[in-house]
Amino acid sequence: MKLDSNSRHKAIRIALYNHKGGVGKTTLTVNIASALADKGYKVLLVDSDPQCNLTSYLFEESVVDSLLDESDTQKGRTLWSVLKPIVEAEGNYNYVSPYDTLVPHLMLLAGDIRLAEFEESLGLFWGECLQRRIRGFRGTNALSAFVNQCCHKFEIDYVFYDTGPNIGPLNRIILLDCDYFIVPVSCDLFSIRALKSLGHTLASWITDWRTITRLAPVDIYLMTGKPKFLGYIPQRFKIYGGAITRISQKYIAKLEKVIFSEIVSILRDIDEGLVDKRAHVAKLGEVKDFSTLIQQAQSEGVPLSKTTAGTAGQKEQAARAFDKIAKAIILKTL
Amino acid sequence: MTRVKLPQRTIESINGMVKLYKKEQSQFKTFARQVHDLFSEHPLLVPYIHSMKYRVKKPDHLRRKLLKKAREAYGRKEKFLITEANLYEEIDDLAGVRILHLHTEQMTEINASLLKIIEEQKYVLISGPVANTWDIEYEKFFKGLNMQISERDTMYTSVHYVLGANNIYQTRCELQVRTLMEEVWGEVSHKINYPIETSSISCKEQIKVLARVTSSCTRLVDSIFKSYHEHQSFHTSKK
Repeated sequence: MKLDSNSRHKAIRIALYNHKGGVGKTTLTVNIASALADKGYKVLLVDSDPQCNLTSYLFEESVVDSLLDESDTQKGRTLWSVLKPIVEAEGNYNYVSPYDTLVPHLMLLAGDIRLAEFEESLGLFWGECLQRRIRGFRGTNALSAFVNQCCHKFEIDYVFYDTGPNIGPLNRIILLDCDYFIVPVSCDLFSIRALKSLGHTLASWITDWRTITRLAPVDIYLMTGKPKFLGYIPQRFKIYGGAITRISQKYIAKLEKVIFSEIVSILRDIDEGLVDKRAHVAKLGEVKDFSTLIQQAQSEGVPLSKTTAGTAGQKEQAARAFDKIAKAIILKTL
Repeated sequence: MTRVKLPQRTIESINGMVKLYKKEQSQFKTFARQVHDLFSEHPLLVPYIHSMKYRVKKPDHLRRKLLKKAREAYGRKEKFLITEANLYEEIDDLAGVRILHLHTEQMTEINASLLKIIEEQKYVLISGPVANTWDIEYEKFFKGLNMQISERDTMYTSVHYVLGANNIYQTRCELQVRTLMEEVWGEVSHKINYPIETSSISCKEQIKVLARVTSSCTRLVDSIFKSYHEHQSFHTSKK
């Protein structure tokens, strides 16, 4: 297959994105992806956050360390090994195979702290795209093109990108490559505040990319630049006696309102197609505070439902919560 | 020439085209700026370029141009075939970029570099290079560079290329390359004859004389640089 293949594989690319930190993006990403893999879908996780939380979640610390040590060498298999030639202007990206994980059907493209260097170059590449320079297009689309190649090679059904908590150029290319994005939110005031700038940021990325692609040559690989809003997931709310507490409920109601006014309506203004017709059912599911399970699951590199800690009831609850989200995703992305 | 009266539907069609262009004008501006920046910053061209400029056609000037073309077509008893569907293919100079350089012989390097960069950056060369010239000596020179020759009765001189962005919209841009002296002639002629050609015979006469003067200046600069380079290489070889 040609490296610059223009054909976009049918795999559905999704990012859980909220530039507000600490909303549990990585934990949600792993668990939702695992729930989909459990149903027999082939899922590719992309650890595109220079903090490598996703890789650290799935692999033991010593493994992660050696991955990072080797990433700059011939043996390297992280995203830095892939993207280094792009940063160093030595031509196209370098193909490496994704890793298998402990979960069947779930693969991982390992992250790397040196992705921060790629991110720095992305700023420059973006400027070059605005100038319609081939180098800019190659750099900006490299991650997307590589993920696309993996999708072709492993017949992937779903791709999940993990994102860092910021509105930097790396998240910009991730979101522009995605078919859908999901907004994880926690039930607090800061989370609601952050949502207000999320819609505007996305809208400006999409419209800038539209300007760029209008003048781009037809025979090069380009990200689609149309991330649709798939829904939001409230989480870490407090449960008391089996029901959501009143204070959490109050926040959920507020969240919903802000999501409509600051995300749905803004995206709809730039392109009707960016918002699902059923946008009124924007909540994909909900994930309560599983704090004790999370720590153990992270150290074992498995989804919450498969950790050795916690009670069977808790794990059952976790499995059900993520299964529900996975089902909602399948239904909405059909 | 008697003014041909255009049918209402043609005028409406022209209004529609101008309206469409107004809506998409910013894209042409972006494209012109991209082409301008690409060439003005390119290390292969920097040694030869004196200065560059870019512009987009004003909607009102497009209207005049279309009206003129329509009148010409009807005057010849032909159909006016420009529509919204082919507007951007028929009118090449909605986006325009100009390269100014010192003397004609630099075109050897400039042309070679332009063609190389155009290919490298995945632009398409829709037409050109076409050398507009009335000077027999320069005609031979441009032919030697595999250029098409075109002679206009206005005594206009410049080398033209039409570049396409190779994008889905087939956006194009006219690139003009000319010497500083040709620019002097071009600017004077433009100010006097655009958008409405002057009826003053003496102005027309003087502009034709100016063409000879500026052409001689360019030729003189060619000669000065040739002498200079010969002189330089003679003295270096002696050392």
